[in-house]
Amino acid sequence: MAATKQKNLWYVRQARRKRRFTTLLTVFFILVQVIWVGVPIFMTVLWSLVDPSHPWSFPNILPEKLSWGQWIYVFKYTNILRALKTSYTLAPCAVLLSFLFSLPTAYVLGRKQIPGKKFFQTIVLLPIIMPGMVVALFLSRVFNAFGLAQNFFGLVLAHTLMGLPYMIRVLTTSFEAIPQDVIDAAENLGANTFVKIKDIFLPMVRPGLLAGMIFAFTTSIEEFNLTFIIGTPTFETIPTILYSFLGYNFIRTNASVVALIMMIPNIIMLFAVENFLKSDYLSASLGKL
Amino acid sequence: MERKNVSSIDYLLLIPGVGFILLFIGSSIFITITQSFGVLSVTGKSQFTIENWKAIFHDKESLDSILFSLKIGLLSSVGTLLFAFPIALFLRKGGAGKRFLASLIKIPLFIPALVAAFLIINLISYHGIVNEALLALGIIKKPLRMLNDKFGWGVIVIQVWKNLPFVLLILSSSLASIRDDTIDAARNLGAGTFSVLFRIYVPLAMPGILVSMILMFIKAFGDFAIMSVAGPTYPPSIALRMRNTATLFQEWDKAAVLGVIIILTTLFITWLYSRLAEFVTGRK
Repeated sequence: MAATKQKNLWYVRQARRKRRFTTLLTVFFILVQVIWVGVPIFMTVLWSLVDPSHPWSFPNILPEKLSWGQWIYVFKYTNILRALKTSYTLAPCAVLLSFLFSLPTAYVLGRKQIPGKKFFQTIVLLPIIMPGMVVALFLSRVFNAFGLAQNFFGLVLAHTLMGLPYMIRVLTTSFEAIPQDVIDAAENLGANTFVKIKDIFLPMVRPGLLAGMIFAFTTSIEEFNLTFIIGTPTFETIPTILYSFLGYNFIRTNASVVALIMMIPNIIMLFAVENFLKSDYLSASLGKL
Repeated sequence: MERKNVSSIDYLLLIPGVGFILLFIGSSIFITITQSFGVLSVTGKSQFTIENWKAIFHDKESLDSILFSLKIGLLSSVGTLLFAFPIALFLRKGGAGKRFLASLIKIPLFIPALVAAFLIINLISYHGIVNEALLALGIIKKPLRMLNDKFGWGVIVIQVWKNLPFVLLILSSSLASIRDDTIDAARNLGAGTFSVLFRIYVPLAMPGILVSMILMFIKAFGDFAIMSVAGPTYPPSIALRMRNTATLFQEWDKAAVLGVIIILTTLFITWLYSRLAEFVTGRK
């Protein structure tokens, strides 16, 4: 009895109406979002499948014939395979290097009270804050002087530089989150530095480490400015190939194929690692300058 | 936090990370500055001169580029905020549907800038789907020029599309830190939707708003790739002009001046941010 009575109370009705309104709004936003993100991707997929012998031009709403012809063409006659190889050897090297370099730094920034800490934390963000093209152009002068331009090792260093800020910032927050009690307890039980690193620090920063690695990896795959100035024409990565298709000789179908090649692994990675990409990591690493 | 005993080992441990960044970024900034004054010049003689600076400031084309980049930076960051803030507010309290929406929104975060540029170019080109749809609906008589247009709308659309999730993430986390009690208290005291929005949400989310605006401005201001594929033929963005001056015309000293201008603007904006953040949060 009480339940039926309650249903008719005005505030219950109002709350229900409000909930229905929120649901409607959610559905509306999802629809908008599907169009906002889906249509551009769908059009690119369509363009990449246009049959080379039946061009898709103005009056036709849909392409006449679909085929894998463009994909075969791009893999056969462009440098895409070499670029893929360069991109995907470069990124792991850069991730590994930035991991090794960031671990001690993040440890100090996360666990020690040192004078000038705020200053160092700002320095760490410099590669993100500094305009990419300026750094790329004039770093290339330095790299030229040391023979690092047009050189694979030079590219690895450049990509490491771009990955470091994410790595250090994310790892720093992970180190900060370790409770001091755990470390004290381990020390009481006689743990030495090596044991502390192996059994406390590394396991406890692992989620942050994975998030940092993903950021560093995607940063390296996407990196354009430094690669374009320091690496090309000796080394082509996927972004520089795409840029060449978008530049003076705009070839939409080829560009579609390359764009998809570059995008698909990233989106798979996004869904595979949703857990690690809680907004906390990004905002923790960039929320304060 | 461990106790105060600071040892020099801590500073040594900073070297691999902080030192690496300082070495690379520092050296490139150093070269930019010296070269803009003709010292350590690659082309011609190395001699201190302010001729390059004078030349840039008397060159109308360079000034056009600077103003154009400033405009794009400002409009893209404000534009993204206008889209992102309402969505972030809406997503503050989540159900299953909203979580799905949030992960849909995140997709462009993982689409590289150049790919994003291409995706949007496809849509807004002269015979792209947007123009065709508008024509079919009878809203316009002939296709609009949205790509490589004089104003730079194409670039702004791409920047908003690509950076919306990034700004949204930062805004969401600063909105999430606002306690419900605060809002309930305000409502109890008779605050309407409008005053809750402008006197609670906006001020409390201000640090997040500022930081996302700054980062977006810097990105859009110094951008090269998107501007060069979707931007107008004239004026080129400042980064594009700098690169062309350096590599096409081999006038590295002049390019360095443009580089210094980009760096100074970036630093100024960052400084302004830190002052504003102090002002907003009321602490040093």
